[in-house]
Amino acid sequence: MKKYQLGEFEEVVMLTVGILHLEAYGVSIKKEIESRLNRNVSVGALQTALKRLEDKGYLKSREGEATEERAGRPKKYFQITALGKRAMEHTKSTRDELWSAIPKMALNLKIVGNW
Amino acid sequence: MEKVPPKLFHDFFRWFCHPELRDHIEGDLIELYREREKESGRSNADIKFIVDVMMLLRPGIIKPTEGYKNLNTHGMYKSYFKIGWRNLLKNKGLFAINVTGLAMGIATCLIIMLFVVDELSFDRYNEKANQIVRVILKGKVNGEIIKEAVTPAPVGPTLKAEFPEVVAATRLRREGSPKITYKNVTYRNNKVALVDPNFFEVFTLPFIQGNPKTALAEPHTIVITQDQAIKYFGDEDPINKLLDFNEPGEQYRVTGIIKDVPANSHFHFNLFVSLEGMAHAKEDNWLESNYYTYVVLAEGTNQAGLESKLPAIIKKYMGPQVARMGMTFEKFTESGNEIGLFIQPVTDIHLHSDTQHSDLEPGGDIKSVYIFAAVAVFMLLIACINFMNLSTAGATKRNKEIGVKKVLGTRRSQLVQQFLTESFISTAGAMILAAILVGISLPAFNQLSGKELVASFLFSPKVMTGLFLLAILITLLAGSYPAFFLSSVKPIAALKNKLTNGGQSKGIRSALVVFQFIISACLIFSMIIVNQQMSYIQDKEIGYDRDQLSVLRESWLLGKNEKAFMNQIMNDPRVESVTMSGFIPAGPTNMSMTGVYTGRQRESFRRTTLYDIDEQYIPTMGMKLLAGRNFSKDSGSDSSNVIINETAVKIFELGEDPVGKALTANTNNNGGTRSLTVIGVIKDFHFRSLHETIAPLIMLNNPSRGLIIRTKTKEMAGLLSSIEDKWKAFHVEEPFSYALLDELYNETYLAEQKMGNILKIFGALTIFVACLGLFGLVTFTAEQRIKEIGIRKVLGANVREIVSLLSRDLIILVAISFVVAFPFGSYLMDKWLQDFSYRIDIQWWVYALAGIATLVIAFLTMSFQTIKSALANPVESLRSE
Repeated sequence: MKKYQLGEFEEVVMLTVGILHLEAYGVSIKKEIESRLNRNVSVGALQTALKRLEDKGYLKSREGEATEERAGRPKKYFQITALGKRAMEHTKSTRDELWSAIPKMALNLKIVGNW
Repeated sequence: MEKVPPKLFHDFFRWFCHPELRDHIEGDLIELYREREKESGRSNADIKFIVDVMMLLRPGIIKPTEGYKNLNTHGMYKSYFKIGWRNLLKNKGLFAINVTGLAMGIATCLIIMLFVVDELSFDRYNEKANQIVRVILKGKVNGEIIKEAVTPAPVGPTLKAEFPEVVAATRLRREGSPKITYKNVTYRNNKVALVDPNFFEVFTLPFIQGNPKTALAEPHTIVITQDQAIKYFGDEDPINKLLDFNEPGEQYRVTGIIKDVPANSHFHFNLFVSLEGMAHAKEDNWLESNYYTYVVLAEGTNQAGLESKLPAIIKKYMGPQVARMGMTFEKFTESGNEIGLFIQPVTDIHLHSDTQHSDLEPGGDIKSVYIFAAVAVFMLLIACINFMNLSTAGATKRNKEIGVKKVLGTRRSQLVQQFLTESFISTAGAMILAAILVGISLPAFNQLSGKELVASFLFSPKVMTGLFLLAILITLLAGSYPAFFLSSVKPIAALKNKLTNGGQSKGIRSALVVFQFIISACLIFSMIIVNQQMSYIQDKEIGYDRDQLSVLRESWLLGKNEKAFMNQIMNDPRVESVTMSGFIPAGPTNMSMTGVYTGRQRESFRRTTLYDIDEQYIPTMGMKLLAGRNFSKDSGSDSSNVIINETAVKIFELGEDPVGKALTANTNNNGGTRSLTVIGVIKDFHFRSLHETIAPLIMLNNPSRGLIIRTKTKEMAGLLSSIEDKWKAFHVEEPFSYALLDELYNETYLAEQKMGNILKIFGALTIFVACLGLFGLVTFTAEQRIKEIGIRKVLGANVREIVSLLSRDLIILVAISFVVAFPFGSYLMDKWLQDFSYRIDIQWWVYALAGIATLVIAFLTMSFQTIKSALANPVESLRSE
């Protein structure tokens, strides 16, 4: 089903928002991804992905408190919606399906070949 | 002191970022900046900040150019289109009627415009179109009106010699249908003209090969069109090749090739033979007219001024020759005769020529052009009116929307714009649909009208601009009522639905309905009259029986064998009788005329048609002898006896008993005569079209060539193929050809038939569009009165009462329209009928029929909706509110 399509980075963001649960906002998501996956995430890429996911209805946001270290700017906390959850499940199940469909031999061969 | 990120990039970010995202992203950036600054120092944090800002420069983050807070009005217009579109979809039926009606109106108008423009473009392809005039001959000789497009041979050269304002004169003479051979290719060609050498300097017919100035300078030269060049010479170079004219037995050298004559020309010859060196072209004979004379006038010449000098020319040159006929020119004019030369712009020939049967080709008729143009304009008007009417009607339902909008602070100008936008959507849709309709229906129209119109004309900048302006105009007209009236309404009144049926708009709508039905009734009336006249022509007692007659005009090609061929046909049991004559009362025929008079009064001669026939002619044609006898079988014995028609008896004043009386006929222009004795009188028959009154006619016992066969079988195909076999047995090169007299007769009225058919179709379309409008209007009325109808039904009204309630007002309006429609229609049709010498009278029942037809059509149109509303269950309409 086309409508549940999630990109790789989008999927990562969704999962991270899930991990952080109620504490997911720009900086925390960025740090979480960087520390867990050991990869650099630019503010731009992250914010674009968040906006797109929100527009799709997979995430919802609420305005958070304005703190001193943010020079009085509010935080924007993200949360997974029911639709977002379905999309994630869909992505996972399609991955699993694909995995289970690969013949054992093929994987083995590949591993041997790479070795 | 807090550390702040680089100001320039910070401001840059604030500038480009989407305002909705700005604050919290900015918060993130600042939070990260401060953290980094603490961890790895200021410059590092600065660089990372700059990188982050640059990385944020991507489509999802940058604010949209349109602005998210109406910094301009794109969004508003977008919403106009969106709301307009949704509104149209909501009223699909009304929208469809509206757009279809308008599209049909525009399409019809465009097609007719193509037709009219084509008719008006005749002969304008000539570079000197405004200077070329044709000289024609008009007059009255002994009671006969003469209007000839042909003039005597010396007219052209004389005018050139006498008047300095005549820059050039050129002549054209028709040359029957010679048989022309090149090597072993032989064709009979009836599009041969003899022309003066300067012909191609007057008419702009572009040369492919050869020099227009010198091509025809020498005797025995010929210029041919491209298609003829291909026909005779194929791939060979035609220049200097010789074409053999088997009759009259001459050879002509090809000296030029021209493009085919344009379709919008008043002649379509394809071989132009030089008149140079031909004796008849130089003859100084003012009493015989055979030449079409064209004259090029110097620029700025006053045509009326030149025309006024022409009588002097007639007197000077024709006078002496008339005198030789036995009567001085003075006496000739004193006795009520007149003869004169007149000039006619070449561009007027196609539509304005009144020179009857002497024109090179049957022309158009300015009256049909006017009629069609009127239909086009009316059609467009009706379509626009409908469009206005329905848009207005539809808009009054939107009071609430307007009220709410106004309460929310919409300005009036914005409402105006919104309604105009909606009107524009429909108009644009209709325009596109109209273009498609034109494309689809043009081939059919071409077939109907016999034209070769192409739609490409419509894409010329002028027409496109016109269409665009038309679209704007329709938009403004149709949108103006809702735009300017409804938008001015007070919101409280609008919300209370107080003006659902604005009295003002009802008045306008009524007027529009009346106007539409004036036109519709007028068209129905005209269609009935045209139809009547056409069937009158079909059924008119024409003095002979045209059914079961076949004409073999080409039988003269058999030469000596013609008589044998005729006898063979006569022996066929399916043939009733055969006559040998080339004189046919319909279609192309032999023609001959001469001056005839009684007693010694030579000067009171009357030009009279002569028919060369045999003794079989009258019985074969089914004509009726009223007195005297037919010619006898022995052709020699009746050589100076004639049979004349009733009109001739009257014209020559032969009294009660014409049989045995004597007539004298001129045999040439130099005083030669022969005397004739009347042996029979034949009932008048129409030997020209019904546009002309019957003229005097004399029949001579002098078999001419050509056969007319009366058959007595229904199996015409079988009979004709057996005749064809006999034809082939004589080994003639020409293929067998025949015509049915009935078809020839009908072809004479082809122009009227075409006009009648076109009028019928466009008339029907116009009425259809008017009905669409009426239907839309009644739908709207029924919808508005739905509660009233419901309450009435609850109180016991029956279907008939509801139907009459809904249709009464409109039917009265339709009836009112008759008051204007019928006098107007009968005036127009009377004008049209004037062109026929034999015509129907407009009878009272035609008015009644047209009236009833209009009423029935209107009523039926409305009944779809009225009956539907009358049958509706009142619960449906009353349960809400």
